[in-house]
Amino acid sequence: MASTTALDLRRGAAIGRAAVLARYATSWVFLIPTLVFFVGWQLYPIFRVLWMSFTDYHFLRNQPAQWVGFLNYANAFADPLVLTGLVRAATFTVLFLPGMIFVPMLLAILVDRVSHPTLATTYRLILLIPAVIPGPLIFVLWKWLYNFNIGPIDYLLAQIGLVTPQTAPQWLGDPNLVLAAIAMMEVWWGLGYHTMFYLAGLAAIPKELFEAARVDGANEWSLFLHVTLPRLRPILLVLVVLRFGTAMAVIDEYLILGGFNRALPTYTWTVYMWDEAFQIGDWFQGYAAAIGWIGAAAMLVVVGGLFWVFRSRD
Amino acid sequence: MVPRRTRPIRVGTVVRHATLVLFMLVILVPLAWVLLLSIKSIPDAYRPGFWPENFDFSHYAYVVANIPTLARNMLNSVVVTTSTVVLTTMCAVLGGYALVHLPLKGRAVVLALLVASMFFPTRVTSLIAIFETQRALGLINTTMGLVLPYVTLNLALSVFIMRGIFEQISHELVDAARIDGAGAWRTLLMVLLPLTRNGIVVVIIVNFVSAWGEYLLGVTLTNDQEVRTLPVVLAGAFGGMGQWAWPRIAAVYVMAIAPGLAAFALTQRWYMRGLQEGALKY
Repeated sequence: MASTTALDLRRGAAIGRAAVLARYATSWVFLIPTLVFFVGWQLYPIFRVLWMSFTDYHFLRNQPAQWVGFLNYANAFADPLVLTGLVRAATFTVLFLPGMIFVPMLLAILVDRVSHPTLATTYRLILLIPAVIPGPLIFVLWKWLYNFNIGPIDYLLAQIGLVTPQTAPQWLGDPNLVLAAIAMMEVWWGLGYHTMFYLAGLAAIPKELFEAARVDGANEWSLFLHVTLPRLRPILLVLVVLRFGTAMAVIDEYLILGGFNRALPTYTWTVYMWDEAFQIGDWFQGYAAAIGWIGAAAMLVVVGGLFWVFRSRD
Repeated sequence: MVPRRTRPIRVGTVVRHATLVLFMLVILVPLAWVLLLSIKSIPDAYRPGFWPENFDFSHYAYVVANIPTLARNMLNSVVVTTSTVVLTTMCAVLGGYALVHLPLKGRAVVLALLVASMFFPTRVTSLIAIFETQRALGLINTTMGLVLPYVTLNLALSVFIMRGIFEQISHELVDAARIDGAGAWRTLLMVLLPLTRNGIVVVIIVNFVSAWGEYLLGVTLTNDQEVRTLPVVLAGAFGGMGQWAWPRIAAVYVMAIAPGLAAFALTQRWYMRGLQEGALKY
């Protein structure tokens, strides 16, 4: 990449400064469509929301928004629902992350060793099926799978004698179960996609490494620990950080499976923000903006911490 | 066609395949269940058990004829998804090309911003301002208005996928095209585009899936059922009663997931190759 740039610059110097500028300008033309959407619907809104969080903006009131300084933040930190909402989101993240990291890793190692080409392709194709069903449709499906009356999960548990129809768990109605139930659904949904990530990483490990270690008498477990795991670390980092971000800021799942019941653990900071901004009273969007930024800031702190934990020590 | 084995099958192999088959069943059974539900007779659908006593294949025709907005919702989904996929793919191809093969000052800044956006929960926090922008543009409660925020759903990821694909193409090839007199546009369209097909398929599938099933923006930015996309209507429907009786809502569900599965089935060859070519390396 660097060599081309240098070459272009040298060539540019021969043609003249104006031509160099013209070529740089042409390059930016290719980025304009991306930048228009990125700035307009991703970058600007996030800072606009930051500004709103310092005002008393109520969407359904006619008065213009007044600057109130840190009042919304002070109120939010004193609001038990905000703290509860953050703790609930963190609880979900803790329930979800281990299953999301280790189950696909195990699966990838198993699939990677399948040598029969047709079988290997078939496994991969089946694994990718949930990845081509959009999230919200997955949530609708699992809302039915968990259903107390027609859901096959409770039926199956009753069939194998673990529960009776009377004691069958109310997966989505029981505050102790609902986050775990949603975490299970998330692991199912991401199974194939995350496995493909690991498979890409495994494919990059030279097979001679395993042969050499085996000759030296390493067993499967130490192979995994000393050869596979260190080489999967960059992928592990990307997955953990990406999924941590999504898990803390989950909202569609909670809206579809939990609704707006404040007693349920699905009423996290994201649902509270949405509720305040688009549903309750006269839509106090200034306050909702503050909740949104508190949640975002909490996440950034943890993501930064994760990068520090996973930093390269070489 | 199974090749003749020259050595006995080992226990480890059996355990491995048994575990894999179990996982495959965990993935396939829920989908088989909903498919089966959509062709059960109504009494069977309300009885516990997987296999119905009577099949009833009329639910598909029933929902199309009797849920008044269904055809409209389906059309909305098709139009919004197609527009989003076309726009995002165009952005990703042009952007990925510029980031790898064109001289560019500020490349690092653009890359840093795109990466940062993938680790930041912008989707939830920025919702209030997106609502404000859409309102200022007069796009609240319109189907086409959804396209603008939908493009950004996977924009950063798509640009990164295409960047990974373009990085696999040697700079010598690009330089050769240049020396032959092709400009930046011609180099992209005539020389590079055919080589990036598999990556483009990955970008199309990724964006198709997220736009087709998008819920949060859809439910926030639209109100009327006839303006909404199919998944938003489906997520808001209560299963079990009248036109939404279980087998009927299951039929709507199958209709909602079928396009994605069909698109995947048709393009899986290029999709898998695209994944291997670097779409997953970023």
